[in-house]
Amino acid sequence: MSTTVRSHKAQKVIERLGKKLNRQMVGSLAACVHCGNCIDSCHYVLANPGDVTFAPPYKADKIRGLFKRHYDWTGRVLPWWVKAKSVYTDQDLEELKDIVFGKCTNCRRCTINCPMGVDMAVFNRMARGLLVSVGIMPEGVAVVSKDQWEIGNQMGVLKEDYIDTLEWLSDDLEAEHGARYRIPIDKKNADIVYSINPREVKYDPRTISDAALIFGTAGADWTMPSEGWDMTNFGLFSGDDDLGGAVSRRLYEKVEELKGKKLVISECGHGYRSTRCEGPNWAKMDVKFDMESSVITMINFINEGKIKVDKSRNPEPITFHDSCNYGRSCGMTEEPRELLQMVCSDFREMYPNRAENYCCTGGGGAMSMSEYTPRRLKSAKIKADQLRATGAKHVVTTCHNCVDGLTDLIKHYKLDMKVTQLVNLVANALVIEKPAEVPEVIVVAPIAAEAVAAAAVPAFATDGFLTGKRILVADDEPDFVTFVTAVLEDHGATVIPAHNGDQAMELARTEKPDMMTLDITMPGKSGVEVFELLRSDKDLQRIPICIITGKPELRKLIYERTVTRPEGYVDKPVDEEGLLLNVRKILKAKLEKRA
Amino acid sequence: MTALEFSRGYLHDAALIIMTIVYTLRLYWLTRFTAAKERQAPTGRGDTNSRKGFLYSWANVAMPWAMESTRTKLFLYLQFVIFHLGVAAAIALLFTIAWGYGDRSLPPSLAMTFRIIIGTAFTVGLMRIIRRLSSPYLRAISSPDDHFSLWLLTLWFAFAFLAAPNNVASDAVYITVYYIIGSFFLVYVPFSKISHYLYYPFTRYYLGKFLGRRGVFPVRRYSGATGQNG
Ligand code: SF4
Ligand code: SF4
Repeated sequence: MSTTVRSHKAQKVIERLGKKLNRQMVGSLAACVHCGNCIDSCHYVLANPGDVTFAPPYKADKIRGLFKRHYDWTGRVLPWWVKAKSVYTDQDLEELKDIVFGKCTNCRRCTINCPMGVDMAVFNRMARGLLVSVGIMPEGVAVVSKDQWEIGNQMGVLKEDYIDTLEWLSDDLEAEHGARYRIPIDKKNADIVYSINPREVKYDPRTISDAALIFGTAGADWTMPSEGWDMTNFGLFSGDDDLGGAVSRRLYEKVEELKGKKLVISECGHGYRSTRCEGPNWAKMDVKFDMESSVITMINFINEGKIKVDKSRNPEPITFHDSCNYGRSCGMTEEPRELLQMVCSDFREMYPNRAENYCCTGGGGAMSMSEYTPRRLKSAKIKADQLRATGAKHVVTTCHNCVDGLTDLIKHYKLDMKVTQLVNLVANALVIEKPAEVPEVIVVAPIAAEAVAAAAVPAFATDGFLTGKRILVADDEPDFVTFVTAVLEDHGATVIPAHNGDQAMELARTEKPDMMTLDITMPGKSGVEVFELLRSDKDLQRIPICIITGKPELRKLIYERTVTRPEGYVDKPVDEEGLLLNVRKILKAKLEKRA
Repeated sequence: MTALEFSRGYLHDAALIIMTIVYTLRLYWLTRFTAAKERQAPTGRGDTNSRKGFLYSWANVAMPWAMESTRTKLFLYLQFVIFHLGVAAAIALLFTIAWGYGDRSLPPSLAMTFRIIIGTAFTVGLMRIIRRLSSPYLRAISSPDDHFSLWLLTLWFAFAFLAAPNNVASDAVYITVYYIIGSFFLVYVPFSKISHYLYYPFTRYYLGKFLGRRGVFPVRRYSGATGQNG
């Protein structure tokens, strides 16, 4: 008796596969000859020698087997002969999920090494989309996709928080450089509409203020939209073309509404690829305005004499990491190098590079899938070796995703290196000839050998803002508590450490701190429980809380509560700069509220 | 009619007709899937485009330096070239005998040329069998079709080598087996992975066109100290 009873989800996956197939994909699915040439192109294989399950054709065959079983004649007639295999249960789909989300970053390195032209990344993404369509995906993918669908950006940044961040950045810029450095919001008919990654608002606002400094110095006619400003697109990672289309359309329509002449995309590999390349296909829109990477905008500013840079201000050895999305999917490999040559004095290539570079290992949305973190960090050894061999002190990348991926692996492999972006280097090298209202201060200290650490910290983080502040740090990881304590105490704060939920509650009650950081998963009372208890307590509900977690997928547990949301939210790994910026922002907001 | 005459004549012709029909159906099947459309404006460097991309992509097979996977494994690349030359020679021999020489022997120099190419390809076939069986990666990804196709091709090379002089009087058995396997291949190929050469122009064309428009193809490399990338 045949046992072809299929779960509803498995049945849907098979049906939808037929609708997703196009000629390019069918070619790639049919053409693999199992020659094995691509195997050691994959960083997962190199970092896990002997584990065949990481080999690109092995992974591809899990998708290919399904295609052959249902859409290719040999597989339909003689499935065992060509290893055609269907899916029957939800467990089969879970196994497929582990491969397409957890063992491939869609980096396309195997593609450019396949003599047959098999494009693994294309059908791996397609398979992700199929699974997502039946609700099978890593928790983090679900959370981020939901945020992007519902809130309009992938980190769930609320409009008021976004505007608030731009405002306080403008205030700082104005205080240091003059009114023309304020960030124009929703200005009509601007030459440049600048779109960013929500990560910049949440963890790295310095990249926004650096960009504003550059635009201001260049005298650019620019603006940032109040909505539709997120140029990232989780549809690229989740394989959900509908999400991809909706997010792209939101951005394009906002530029049209503002009558902007050009959309400039800040440094982000997947954002650039999604917005500039894939977006028009997903949105089925013929985009009328120009789109360019901010890297090109900065080069043009220099070439047109709109800004002047002094490369001696960036004397440290610097190497460059090509993001997969730029290098292997958008062909942007030379422009960042051109700009680097203009703004730093010791540039060293990493090998291999350009289209042959290895993935940062955080690509394809891997940073949001914490269940695969140990696997990701193990496979990052290849990248760590590559970085170490350069002898550089800074690795520059034009991608926010890579910033996180590289930062994480640098910490894991204990490399003496910092990650930075071109916008930071350009701002650092910027020669501001006539500061408008405040003389002589340049926003960021030069990266001199002795000032590397200082350069990573914006001026306002060292302004004694934390002096006298008492901050409760609740986290069960002793290393993390030590790190946060060191950073905050270095800037004048007093830290009250708590190592579990119960202790955190008690200390909150007895110490009444100015703010607290809270881990979600802790022994005893979980962070979620502590959060809810604090928010429901009349005496304690005013303590501003910054959630710091290594499990972004648990964010929804916090946001689903009916109590007031936390004042800040930071994903681990946390760097010094990100921590200080968030703490500062929260305390400033508290002060303003009180005033 | 002898077995040799049958296999060299009717069997071979019938197999050719079946192969043509199945190939046509296969191509029809592939073209029934619509090609994805690109709306994006070209990206990347200005010195390339879709056309350059697909030409580069097609020429890729003859440029071992173009891909890291061939550049760093030149011996495997050489094996690939010899093996495929062997296939081309074994097919050419089928037609040379069936449609040209018939019962007459091939000129010794021509027979020798066939033998050198096919004999070397046979050796490579054996090496490929060993590689496929000994590498855990290749073992894990190989299907029965992969093994069968390789074994049978290598066996076919052996009989092609033996049949090449076309000495009907002394080698009729070799020639007959060579034709029977050859005819079997003609029918079997469209159903097996050996039909990859049918897809090759399509996959490489689309990938090249796409990555050319994106400014990725031709892949730009940098001659650096380690040589890995140059
Ligand atoms: S190189 Fe291409 S054809 Fe060979 S195993 Fe890899 S994907 Fe398949
Ligand atoms: S796309 Fe990248 S991560 Fe995925 S199998 Fe290929 S080389 Fe490995």
